[in-house]
Amino acid sequence: MCARSVTTEAIGKAFGNERILEDISLHIEEGEFCVIVGPSGCGKSTFLNCLSGLVEVDDGYVAYDGADVTGKPVEDRDIGYVFQEFEDTLFPHRTVGENVAFGLEQQDGGLTDAAIDERVEEVLELLNIGETKDSVPEELSGGQQQRVELARQLVRRCDLFLFDDPLADLDYKLQKQMELEMRQIHEELGSTFVYVTHNQDQALKLADRLVVMNDGRIEQEGTPTAVYDSPATAFVARFVGDSNALTGAVVRAEDDEVVVDSEVGEVHATPRDDVGEQAGVVLLRPEQMAIGDAASGRDTTIQAELRGVTYTGEVTEFSVTADGLDREFIVSEPGRPSFGFPGDDVAVGWDAADAQYFERLSVSDSMTVKDIIRF
Amino acid sequence: MASDATQQSDDETAHGAGDDTVLEVSGFTKIYPDGTLAVDGIDFSIDRGDFCVLIGPSGCGKSTTLHSIVGKIEVTDGRITLDGEDITDTPTYERDISLVFQDFQLFPHLSARENIRYGLERMDVPEDEIEERVDRIVQLLKLGDLVDRNPSGLSAGQKQQVALARSLVLEPKLLLLDEPLGDLDYKLQKHMERELMRIHHELDTTFVYVTHDQTQAMRLADQIVVMNEGQVEQSGTAEEVYDAPSTAFVATFVGDSNTFFGELTAVSEDESRATVETAFGDLQASTDNLVSSPRDLLETEIPFSVRPQYLSLGGDRDNKLSCEVEDVIHHPGSGTQVVLNAEGNADSKTVMLTSRDLEETPSGQVTVSWAPEHTILLEETSVVPGVDIETDILGE
Repeated sequence: MCARSVTTEAIGKAFGNERILEDISLHIEEGEFCVIVGPSGCGKSTFLNCLSGLVEVDDGYVAYDGADVTGKPVEDRDIGYVFQEFEDTLFPHRTVGENVAFGLEQQDGGLTDAAIDERVEEVLELLNIGETKDSVPEELSGGQQQRVELARQLVRRCDLFLFDDPLADLDYKLQKQMELEMRQIHEELGSTFVYVTHNQDQALKLADRLVVMNDGRIEQEGTPTAVYDSPATAFVARFVGDSNALTGAVVRAEDDEVVVDSEVGEVHATPRDDVGEQAGVVLLRPEQMAIGDAASGRDTTIQAELRGVTYTGEVTEFSVTADGLDREFIVSEPGRPSFGFPGDDVAVGWDAADAQYFERLSVSDSMTVKDIIRF
Repeated sequence: MASDATQQSDDETAHGAGDDTVLEVSGFTKIYPDGTLAVDGIDFSIDRGDFCVLIGPSGCGKSTTLHSIVGKIEVTDGRITLDGEDITDTPTYERDISLVFQDFQLFPHLSARENIRYGLERMDVPEDEIEERVDRIVQLLKLGDLVDRNPSGLSAGQKQQVALARSLVLEPKLLLLDEPLGDLDYKLQKHMERELMRIHHELDTTFVYVTHDQTQAMRLADQIVVMNEGQVEQSGTAEEVYDAPSTAFVATFVGDSNTFFGELTAVSEDESRATVETAFGDLQASTDNLVSSPRDLLETEIPFSVRPQYLSLGGDRDNKLSCEVEDVIHHPGSGTQVVLNAEGNADSKTVMLTSRDLEETPSGQVTVSWAPEHTILLEETSVVPGVDIETDILGE
């Protein structure tokens, strides 16, 4: 199996007066699982459509393996495309096997019937729906139908597959199961996957390369770990993973640390970019904060009030508030420890290395400190 | 607030009694005109002020149950009582129960404020009281100036808040929510979950909430009712359902778990441990979760499960498996998930391990182990007769 690289150079797109995409340059390596994530309206689906050729770009170009394909019609590009809505695309009177074979028969591959049949069976096995080959779509559950739709595309063994939130309509349990399977399928096919989702949790699990979009631009790209641990902007830190936010301006800078005069008093943090005089935000990951006795001796310790305790199985989430704070913070701890009862005082703390201070909020000018706090 | 045992006990003392039932569903059965048995004689009750979540796979009857409680679906058999009063045949508008839909169903030509006022106007509530109640709810939901906009000028999350306000302003005895966050973006869902918890905390209203998302259920619920094929598998707090699932169905549906089965061949002297002979060798399990006496289950086939976070790499603990590493998923913020394949005699099985402090990425052949006390024996496969552990629960 071969895979293609995908490159975009300074892509721009507007619908009427509305700018949808602005100066998007991205390189996706061959065989990579690239996930594009962002809030609704950020332009991620339009970007995917530009990659496939379904939407024409206004500026810039798209290249596969270094060759410009910008003007090439989508049907000549030999790519697989899986959408979120799948129910109406299957032929109701044909069996699953026939539905899946259809994609191959349309291709000018000159495959024999036997070869087609072999590939259909292979892909149905890969997706764990081998036993449905002779059923018609209406006999299948929603999850099975979605697999047939996937199979219909995957059977074509394209070098490049594009996915537009294909698991969004599935039940929670089925989604989790399919996430693991998507990774396996990618591994086995070896093709390049470009996958769009609004679910950042799914994105973190699936991606080799994670691309975070906002307001028609790329905020950051990198491995999931790099994006999570070293977000480029406050928006990225807020959007990818959970976080608590404080706001204030820097009062002192010492070595590679800053002291920020926040709603809860002076707090220690690590600056992510150049420090000026304007108010920025301090972002704290729930799992990197300490609560109870473990909070003392940290670079910053504040007195808080315990508001609620939520057991989620693997971790327990503690919601706390403090003087000066008009919202709750979440601190998470593995297992099921106890730090008193709601209404009790409890200490909360963190080290400067785990508190990130941003003055650069987003690549988008329209984002304010208030937006980041409210996120 | 949600799944908060300590808070619950406070409330109970404050009310003077622990057993203040607001809704009781008994023997509820629904057969649709085409003969489909959607709900099969279920019983459960909800305490006043609780956040109750009905969960289960699609087609389990959870939405049918919700719509029968509000009176939108006729009851075939059984009884529904609200505050001790039989409402089984009471028309919807006389039930003092309000329903929030997933698709909001706001009037497009009315402003958000007019949408919120609408129900009170229909009930002939005096104007100054309407204004007072609307103001209070607008403030509680932090809607601010948004109330002057028409629905078309609101985002999905804001529409959902207006729909919620429209129901809450009626001060119903029960607020029913049918997958209210299902259509929202992931981040917005998380935000609205927190908002719902806060709003529930500040009001005395009882919430009944339907979802297929079990993590949402764990976060929100004081009480979780797990449904399957028209029956109730288990009803209890998040802790009870997660830590002490009563069936293999519950153990696998709520949270991730590694579920095995085999013949119970031995019980320890003090009856705290049992040995189960499986395709992967003899494994030890705790008997704490059993209702029956462990000795009565000797020589019977029994399922048991262990959560992925209790497995560790290496053979330090009593229960050991030899596995091949299939996939390693680093999930920033919540640790690493390792997908393993265990080879037994004439059987293989996918096993999950999660760890928050894995130093090296495992590969190839490894040994994993876990402690017997984290291995929970499950008395039954499911409350639904004929459910098979291999084909229906483990999907193998």
